[in-house]
Amino acid sequence: MSRIATCAVLAAGLACAAVGLAGLRAAEPSPGSAELLYLPNGRHLRLASSGHASLAADAVYLWAIQYYSNYERSDRHQYVEHVFGTVIPELDPRFVDAYALGGMILAIEARDLDAALRVFDRGIRENPADWLLPYTAAWECYFAGRPALASRYLDEAVAKPGAPSLIARNRAGMVERAGDPRAAWRLWKELSEDPASDETTRAVARGRIADLQQRIDLEDLRAAIASYRAAHGRNPRALDVLVADGLLPAIPAAPDGTGYRYEPDTGEVGAGATRVLGDR
Amino acid sequence: MSTARTAAVPGWLPAISAIARNTFREAVRDRVLYLMLAFALLMILASRFLAMLTVGSETKIIKDLGLSAISVFGLLTAVFVGVSLVFKEIDKRTIYTLLANPVRRWQFVTGKYAGLLSVLTLNAVVMFAVLTVVLWTYGESPAPLVPAVALILVELSIVAAIAILLSSYTNPMLAALGTVAAYVAGHLSWSFELLARRIPEGSGRGLVRVLSWLVPNLDRLDLKALAVHGVPIPAGQVGYAVLYGLGYAIAVLVLACVVFERREFRA
Repeated sequence: MSRIATCAVLAAGLACAAVGLAGLRAAEPSPGSAELLYLPNGRHLRLASSGHASLAADAVYLWAIQYYSNYERSDRHQYVEHVFGTVIPELDPRFVDAYALGGMILAIEARDLDAALRVFDRGIRENPADWLLPYTAAWECYFAGRPALASRYLDEAVAKPGAPSLIARNRAGMVERAGDPRAAWRLWKELSEDPASDETTRAVARGRIADLQQRIDLEDLRAAIASYRAAHGRNPRALDVLVADGLLPAIPAAPDGTGYRYEPDTGEVGAGATRVLGDR
Repeated sequence: MSTARTAAVPGWLPAISAIARNTFREAVRDRVLYLMLAFALLMILASRFLAMLTVGSETKIIKDLGLSAISVFGLLTAVFVGVSLVFKEIDKRTIYTLLANPVRRWQFVTGKYAGLLSVLTLNAVVMFAVLTVVLWTYGESPAPLVPAVALILVELSIVAAIAILLSSYTNPMLAALGTVAAYVAGHLSWSFELLARRIPEGSGRGLVRVLSWLVPNLDRLDLKALAVHGVPIPAGQVGYAVLYGLGYAIAVLVLACVVFERREFRA
């Protein structure tokens, strides 16, 4: 065969292949979850990987990131829990980032906190020394409007070795947001007195203790005034009466040093300032 | 390996080391070996680009890819170079010239194995050095990976011994298939123990137990995942793994020497 004929046959072959490939690409069905139907489970992938299960976990993780980054898929959240909570953990149970990412996709994008927590919980079980997963789970609970659950995850995170001091501050703040100022006050108090706390933590703790002290004092005063009103049919003339009646052990001193304002006509009690700036 | 003949051959160590040096030179000159090495280096460097596709875990993926590249390319080298070492000498009839010299057959097989092992060690060291440089650019220490790389070398020493054994009595194609099969079976050796627990007491269970000891327990030498996650690996575990690997490789090599001693060459 002459050189020209060889080149012509080669060019024709390449042209046919290019046309064929372009046609195949044009006919490609729209993205769907069909490819997920063929994703083997982690146990089978582990067998097939012959000692390279961790690398197989990376491959599934990288693929999953590209798959779930395609916002054109309408059913993209269908198998998130299976991929991040089963397939990858069966290949590499210590792959913390995979649990964190899967949990966040479920909580933030799929708005399925329960599924997200199942993924986080598996990660926490498999990695008992890791603080990142309970910490991330806590914030997802908080953003989903469940601060009490969030504070439980922060309790878990703060007990892990090497957990940064920021988590202890977050825990106290979360308990406060969950509506338990007394428990929050105790946590901030512990932080302010803990010699292991850094200076930033102690400064933040002092500020929060003062704020919470004021909130607790006002709650106690309002409860005592309400009890007095229920017993006598009128408001007390002054706050001292509440102590004399045994409704309060003592009149609390406001953290800002100005004392609490009391209006006998209305029974309203308040502070000089709504917030307290540091120690006085 | 009779005592009389052994005594007639002066210095077995120089003979083995001369064959090992030649095997090493021959393998290093082999273009397939260079191609594998270049490809392995490329894989490790490519890991940096792969890391761009991920969300976090860049260094984990780089470590996984690096260790797997060292293991897989070491395996390919052990299989494809290992199975042809003995066969080439027979096929080109250079074995007659070699054995006409004061070199015993077992020295020939051991020298070939030692040469192959030094090639594998060089491969692993060069690839690990590249991986170390890549990790340093990320501010990561490669130190936790050292036990895993050491055990990859132990694993390769077993695979190389099996390749030499099989190539000493069959053709390279069958030897390569057999070596790869032994590698895969070695990574599934846990299943023999599982099977032994599942089947009823009797000769079947006994046979499975024997098989679980005979098959190279390569899955027990796999510390890659632990090393990548920085989990401390007890020195005892590494020590036992090295002991097991060396013992197994020596046993297979002795078998290879015996088989090669009994082999008849047609002129």
